[in-house]
Amino acid sequence: MADRDPGMSAAPATGGYVGRAVRTLEGRAPIAGAARYSSDFSFPGQLHAAIVRSPHARARILKVDLSGARKVAGVVLAMDGREVAAHLGPIPHYIDPATFGGKSAEVRTMAVDHVWCYGQPVAVVVAADRRTARWAASRVQVAYEVEPAVLTVEDAIAPDAPKVVPGFDDNVIMAVPFRNGDPDAAFARADHVVTTTVRIHRFSTQPIETRCYNAVWEEETESLTLYGTAQNPHPLRHVLAKVLGMPEGRIRVHAPAIGGAFGMKMHGHPEESLVCLLAKLLRRPVKWVESREECLLIGAREQVHHLELALSKEGDLLALRDRFFANTGAPSACPGWGMAFLTGLTMPGPYRVRDIDVTMTALVTNKPSWNAARGYGKEATALALELALDEAARRLGFDPAELRIRNFVPADAFPYASPTGLQYDSGDYAGAVRKAMAAIGWDEWRARQAEGPREGRYLGLGIAYELTPEGGALPGTMVAGYDSSTVRVAPDGSVRVLTGVTTPGTGNPTGIAQIVADELGCPIEWISVVQGDTTTCPYGFGNYSGRSTIVGGGSAALAARAVRAQMEAVAAAMLGVGVQALRLSDGVFDGGDGRSLAFADVAWAAYTRAYDVASCITPPLEAQATFRPPNIRHSPDAEGRINPYPSYSNAAYATVVEVDSATGQVKLLAFAAAHDCGRVINPLLVEGQACGAIAFGLGGALMEEIRFDAGGHQLTRSFMDYVMPRAEDMPGVTLVHHDSPNPDTYMGLKGAGEAGVGGSAAAVVNAVNDALRPFGVAIHDLPLSPARVWAAIHGRSGAAGGAA
Amino acid sequence: MDDLAQSVLVQWRVNGVLHELDVLPGLSLLDVLREQLNLTGTHMGCMTGHCGACTVMIDGRIAKSCIAQAATLPRAEIRTIEGLMGPDGRLSPVQQAFWDEAGFQCGYCAPGMLFSAIELLAETPDPTDAEIDSALAGSLCRCTGYQSLRRAVRAAARALKDPNPD
Amino acid sequence: MSLYPSFARPRTLADAATLLASLASGGVVIAGGQELMPSINQGVLAPEVYVDIGGLAELRGITETPEGRVGIGALTVHRELQTDPRVRAQLPLLAHAATRAGGGRQVHNRGTIGGNLVAQHPLYDIAPPLLALEAEVEWVKGRETVRQPLAAMLADSRHGLGSEAILTRVLVVPMADGLGWAYEKLKASGGAYGSANAAALVKLKEGRVAAVRLVVGAVADRLIDASEAAAALLVGRRFDAEAGAALAGAVSALVAAPLSDAQGPGPWRQAMAGVVAQRALAAAVARAGRG
Ligand code: FES
Ligand code: FES
Repeated sequence: MADRDPGMSAAPATGGYVGRAVRTLEGRAPIAGAARYSSDFSFPGQLHAAIVRSPHARARILKVDLSGARKVAGVVLAMDGREVAAHLGPIPHYIDPATFGGKSAEVRTMAVDHVWCYGQPVAVVVAADRRTARWAASRVQVAYEVEPAVLTVEDAIAPDAPKVVPGFDDNVIMAVPFRNGDPDAAFARADHVVTTTVRIHRFSTQPIETRCYNAVWEEETESLTLYGTAQNPHPLRHVLAKVLGMPEGRIRVHAPAIGGAFGMKMHGHPEESLVCLLAKLLRRPVKWVESREECLLIGAREQVHHLELALSKEGDLLALRDRFFANTGAPSACPGWGMAFLTGLTMPGPYRVRDIDVTMTALVTNKPSWNAARGYGKEATALALELALDEAARRLGFDPAELRIRNFVPADAFPYASPTGLQYDSGDYAGAVRKAMAAIGWDEWRARQAEGPREGRYLGLGIAYELTPEGGALPGTMVAGYDSSTVRVAPDGSVRVLTGVTTPGTGNPTGIAQIVADELGCPIEWISVVQGDTTTCPYGFGNYSGRSTIVGGGSAALAARAVRAQMEAVAAAMLGVGVQALRLSDGVFDGGDGRSLAFADVAWAAYTRAYDVASCITPPLEAQATFRPPNIRHSPDAEGRINPYPSYSNAAYATVVEVDSATGQVKLLAFAAAHDCGRVINPLLVEGQACGAIAFGLGGALMEEIRFDAGGHQLTRSFMDYVMPRAEDMPGVTLVHHDSPNPDTYMGLKGAGEAGVGGSAAAVVNAVNDALRPFGVAIHDLPLSPARVWAAIHGRSGAAGGAA
Repeated sequence: MDDLAQSVLVQWRVNGVLHELDVLPGLSLLDVLREQLNLTGTHMGCMTGHCGACTVMIDGRIAKSCIAQAATLPRAEIRTIEGLMGPDGRLSPVQQAFWDEAGFQCGYCAPGMLFSAIELLAETPDPTDAEIDSALAGSLCRCTGYQSLRRAVRAAARALKDPNPD
Repeated sequence: MSLYPSFARPRTLADAATLLASLASGGVVIAGGQELMPSINQGVLAPEVYVDIGGLAELRGITETPEGRVGIGALTVHRELQTDPRVRAQLPLLAHAATRAGGGRQVHNRGTIGGNLVAQHPLYDIAPPLLALEAEVEWVKGRETVRQPLAAMLADSRHGLGSEAILTRVLVVPMADGLGWAYEKLKASGGAYGSANAAALVKLKEGRVAAVRLVVGAVADRLIDASEAAAALLVGRRFDAEAGAALAGAVSALVAAPLSDAQGPGPWRQAMAGVVAQRALAAAVARAGRG
């Protein structure tokens, strides 16, 4: 903890932007239709790429015939996977399973000889316009020899299963035990053991903006610029350099405004390096815009959990066992598979049980690959635990809230070392549950529920907790825990902040500007925040894991303090007073003796009077700083465990549903959350994040699903099939804060970006199962489509539908 | 009897400016706005009419430009999101309300949400929450969970009723 | 299939019909585009020739025909069905069903009644009420004008997209005063499409069912006209819970080959056919009782 900054958790003395509902600085542009997203960029000579994808889940490629495409007027290039592989190396893994003791598959940009999932790129066509490119792509003839596909977890672990990755001895990319204490003994002495199998389906983040990459070759400098939907511009540059065999210094990645990301725009996607290659070969700009059908290929979250809870008759959770399997699809360089690891690492969530026996098995199958999805596996932890706890409460006759409160890590136990080695910073889980229940009016709903069955109405109340480690750092990967910012004050007093973190559109630039405005004592309107460009911004790791405000804001605050010190020195010299006498607020330095100086005058002096009042500083007014959260621990403890997270936001979710027993439809009547994301910089931003995540959870619990037929062909190809919540589906959300500041971050921040998906989904499932109690059934297979709920009520197990 | 044409001459007034364009049969209005007129404020989210990110106003009524074929609009008055601001560069009251209330996050869905709100409020100055939800039904937002959008529409309704509150 | 299709915008119905008849194949009629464009954009459809009928004045307007029908031009959009005073007064079932169509305001503003019917899409919301209302449709094909029951058109797949015929008008007898009506749409999720829909019309006499029309959609390839089954069960009876349950069972039994798609699996769809039928009828009876 040597680099702990003693001042980090203290708020600055002046200002007053932090904590206020400031509308976003960057929010005007999209409302005016002026925001520029990746696909809005076009360059002289622009060409367009279209990709030919495999219609089979697993097949040998016998022949790729490009002649039909080459005959189409306007086509400038057509290549198959083998030709592309001659130019491009394997894509480095964002998180290599081998780094953590797993197996690493070589991931190529396009299929060579063999296809391992539906939708895998097989050939590419470049033409003068998008329509021609797509037309020509449909003229490419590929001969396949179809092979039996591995689609489910059960398929993948069968002893005679075909190998998804040629050369692997099985389909496991990583298996990790998370074991602590003596779970076997605890199970032996338990009064009750409750088993639950939870099946989480494949669903996906689906931002409304699909991915887009536009690569521009500059002959003059023999360099490449990639404009694109990238959450992590600098790390992507590194990947492109490796794949293309070019120095990083000759590549620029520019990520303009992003129309939602949620993990999907983290890199490792084949199209990133592919368009760069095409631009380099053709020496012209080449652009690829993902279609929605292509976007729906990117999966996430599919897991099966076999849980056992050991409980005493008083309701103490004595031990947890969970054997779980993740169907991560075909190998990918994207960081999606790592979600499964985090699901295990986050066990047993907010509960104080010490004896645990959890085994994670991440499998590859012939479904399309995963990418990271908001929640990053922690949503699955919450779903599995919270569904199992409710099952225990139902079977043993405990009140679900009481059972949780009894077993939580108590508020006075922080910092708390979890049985998997995590170091929880702070929290008051029981308090949050009580707040959420009060906010929704729990007791009144319970009374109404009791009336319900008499009138043929089935109400259900559900509660769930989610612990969401955020701001993660994994050793040996580009998942870094720290980040950097530069703060510059120009001669006119305007302020520019350049950060290594990026925004997926959630408003973090404004949060950072609020912090800097308070640190510099100037109006927020003077500040502009620049992100997402590898040539102008300090080296940084971009956006993931709810880190942008923690490390972006923290580093910007440190840089701003350094610049403020420069300006105070100059101001003090100008006024002939000591620095201690100065007060800075609203852009005015007050000398304490009736005299004052405008911020801009001090800035001007700092630049122009370097041999006079500014001789006490080194110009320009600029500083770069890094914030490295001190509580991340990568040196393994005696058990080999690390703490990759600095912040543990957490929340309680409560909901009331009504189930229509004739149709199986679930209607959300009320929803409340009590949220602990540490110190709140801007309640508008936090509310937006929380409600957005809740919508993800509700959508995942009730409607969103990516389906396949028995042969592994994806059935979900448009928003007609992939149904996401619309305004009518979302109940009003009552959001209450229950914040416990994080002692280890700037001003007590915790992440707010990821929390909520699993907790809200689990609350809905628990509420539905509560409503189903009169029927004596409970469902642990997601999503809770009306057909599935109806089948449970009417005892029609085969009628629930379901595909691979 | 009309001959078959390989391209179609259309005459549109777009955000007040008259354009004569040759458009290819089959192209969506969205493609033509973005690629021929460089009006990139209208967004592509699905091309199948489900997301609403491509919403514009055609002859005074809102429409999804991805599923309006450009060639079928020989003469039209078209307003895109770029045309919502006043000539002085000031945001319209509905836009201002969406900004002030932090209606959006990434803003990619803005065309659908803004135009839906505008058309709703023109007909129903004092909408209920259910009316707001149903007016937004043609559009998807993946960031906000709709709570802030609802609040923004309510604020816009207030702003339109009382343009100069003090 | 063509990368460079051609386009015509005939000025009169006669021109359009002649042109379509002259195109051996590959001519596709387009108006609002709401049905065609998704398939074109996805590359599923690539017509050789578009015949844009959007300019045909003959296809516009909602009028009263000399024989007292409501004549609805094929280019009438959903929005007009929702708001037109004549439709609201004389065909409230249709006006209401139009509000339940998916796609939001944007699609209601451009989607035409003609396009909706010609799509012959089992999930759409306009055909069930029109079939319940025993609507007729008018076609022009070459020089011929054909008038036929909507039921006949829906049963004939040659009248779908790509047909040489142009649907010009829908003709509906105004609903009698006191007729109870309802449109019940059951959605598996917040999307545009129903998993089961039912349109019902009921005439009551002294609290008992005197006549009934019932059409169920979105559960099978084609709409199911359950009117006969409903009449056999219900005429002369009060519509109580027992009658409702019997009706549900009878309607589900009519669904021989239920759809199984993103809107839900077959066995559930089959059961839901009965549920929406029962609910639609209950609502129609309640409305008839009030009126
Ligand atoms: S792009 Fe037009 S509705 Fe999605
Ligand atoms: S604000 Fe991002 S999609 Fe609506």
